Amino acid sequence: MRIRFLRTEGFRLSALYAGIFAISVVILGAFVLVITNQALRDQIVTFSKTDIAAIRNGFATGGDREAQEIVHQLLAGPANADFFYLLQRRGKVLAGNMPAMAARTGTIEASFSSTGNKIEVLGVGAFLAPGLYVFTGSDMTRLRAVQAHILNIMLDLFGASILIAIAGGALVSWSFLRRTDAMARACQDIMQGDLKLRIPVRGTGDELDRLAEAINEMLGRISALMENLSQVSNDIAHDLRTPVTHLRHRLERARTESRTPEDYAHALEAAIAKADEILGLFTALLRIAQIEGGDRRAAFAPLELDALLAQMRELFEPVAEEAGDVLQSAPMDKAVIRGDRQLLVQLFSNLIENAIVHTPRGTRIRLSLSRIAGRVVARVGDNGPGVPREEHERLFRRLYRREASRSQPGYGLGLSLVAAIAELHGATIQLVDGRRHGLTVDVSFPLAADTEKT
Amino acid sequence: MLLAGIPVILHPPVIARTMTRCKPWFAVPVKILLIEDDKETSAHIVFALNGEGHDVTVCHDGQEGLEAARSGGQAALIVDRMLPGLDGLSMVKQLWAEGNHTPVLFLTTMSGLNDRVEGLKGGGDDYLVKPFAFPELLARVDAIARRGGAQDNEPVRLRAGDLELDLIRRTVHRGGKPIDLQAQEFRLLEYLMRNMGRVVTRAMLLENVWDLHFDPRTNIVETHMSRLRGKVDRGHGAELIHTVRGAGYTLRAD
Repeated sequence: MRIRFLRTEGFRLSALYAGIFAISVVILGAFVLVITNQALRDQIVTFSKTDIAAIRNGFATGGDREAQEIVHQLLAGPANADFFYLLQRRGKVLAGNMPAMAARTGTIEASFSSTGNKIEVLGVGAFLAPGLYVFTGSDMTRLRAVQAHILNIMLDLFGASILIAIAGGALVSWSFLRRTDAMARACQDIMQGDLKLRIPVRGTGDELDRLAEAINEMLGRISALMENLSQVSNDIAHDLRTPVTHLRHRLERARTESRTPEDYAHALEAAIAKADEILGLFTALLRIAQIEGGDRRAAFAPLELDALLAQMRELFEPVAEEAGDVLQSAPMDKAVIRGDRQLLVQLFSNLIENAIVHTPRGTRIRLSLSRIAGRVVARVGDNGPGVPREEHERLFRRLYRREASRSQPGYGLGLSLVAAIAELHGATIQLVDGRRHGLTVDVSFPLAADTEKT
Repeated sequence: MLLAGIPVILHPPVIARTMTRCKPWFAVPVKILLIEDDKETSAHIVFALNGEGHDVTVCHDGQEGLEAARSGGQAALIVDRMLPGLDGLSMVKQLWAEGNHTPVLFLTTMSGLNDRVEGLKGGGDDYLVKPFAFPELLARVDAIARRGGAQDNEPVRLRAGDLELDLIRRTVHRGGKPIDLQAQEFRLLEYLMRNMGRVVTRAMLLENVWDLHFDPRTNIVETHMSRLRGKVDRGHGAELIHTVRGAGYTLRAD
């Protein structure tokens, strides 16, 4: 557990904050030290200059004696306990409480020994007259003490901030870990096979809640897909059994009933046709699965839907005519969408072929295109018998075949494929059934982005 | 119905020289190299090809197949995409890199669009998705094998007997008399004439004439073919377009 604390994001964040805080404490401390040092030195220099001015004044009015007198007075002053004074003429001390020293002028630092202690002073030196040198300054011990004090406070602050950050980090990572552990446990339970389980959400709406909600949504989608998948594999297993069983029956009958080579040839032809039908069913199912997989979206390109529908009409017009129907198209404006040409050709082929195959002779089939609210709607309509509204939903189900069309060739996958292709293209499908107007299928595509304005 | 289960495939436009004399499609035995790891599948394919008189050599892995193809002399290669040793696509790319441009028909169980495009870009001439019917395989092998010697010089006119198709003017004449064809009828006739003497299957026509890559439920090919025949053959003496039972169509002038 101790090691895992160090690996949590919460701990890493607190460590980062602690680091930043520690650095700012150091910078602040250095700043305070420099400022206070400068202020204290400025104060000493100002006092020293005032004292020197007083001594200079004394010398001007009463010469050496008066200057000596003022130094004595200053030495006796109660506020000047840690101040040092020196009045010397050519190296010989006239007055003061420190030994003679080299005569340097301006703000200077000097050191000397007094009763065995080394004393360092900061002060101001000046000449009152040629050879007559005066120095006043303060012991720097107090200045050093103040600095040491400030430094100590800063170090304490530094240590405290690190401790607080570590404690806070540990607390944050502990609560974070507790929740992520709960999520991980829930995920593991789900992996064990309980897909109904969901990750607990606290309801605070924080990041972890959002993550949990996203995972829950994903789980919902996965279980829906799995249900769909098992439904489909059930359907397939069920619906494939029928033609495979028929095939087997045919072969058995051929074995017992065939007498002549012609009988065998005929039976084999029929068996091959049945096998082809089964393969066709597989191919169609595989194609739907591939389209639903969505990997064809990479091949999308802009294409003119009006031109595509015109080609569809050209392709199917003779076919419709052969079936005794009429295929027409309304005048169409240019409409550009993004899509996979081959798949869209298949989508419209399926719709048009449905209208040809599932309607009586003499049906009129009409293709049209219109723009509604930023989308382009392709319509395949017929005036055949139509499909009752309550059946519309079922039409798109895999392997669903209407009672009326069971005698027609087909697998009941055409509209499932249409739905899969439409979904891949972000298109919606709407069936409109009017008793007198047959069936109308509207496929509504989003317009390609670059043509929306035109 | 016989061809209903054939998954259809992408096919590049066929460019072939016009043949002045036509031979029956099945009477040109050639040497074919089949590279297919599945023993049962390859046995079936060999059986079908032998039935047409073709001389077939079989290899069961990619490396072995590459060696055999390098020795040359084959009119066509039939290559499975998934092979042990060296996969089919890499093998064909390798042959192309070595300057060996023997026509290739890819076989695959993968039916993704990308696989098809990849296969054709990688040096394949045609692509057939398993499972397939034998007539489909034979027609496609025949189409690519005979294209072997074809050059890129695009003909201006295609001729079959007294039928003449002008690719520049987009006109068709039979016995000197003009025939008025719609755009898709013209494309259909053009494809038949470019493959004169060979059988073309429904799937080949759907792919190459209409760019349809699925098996339609209505008789698109039959309907259009019947219209074309009505214009090209009816009332013009000898028939040029023939139905090949269980396989497709062929255009020939005997």
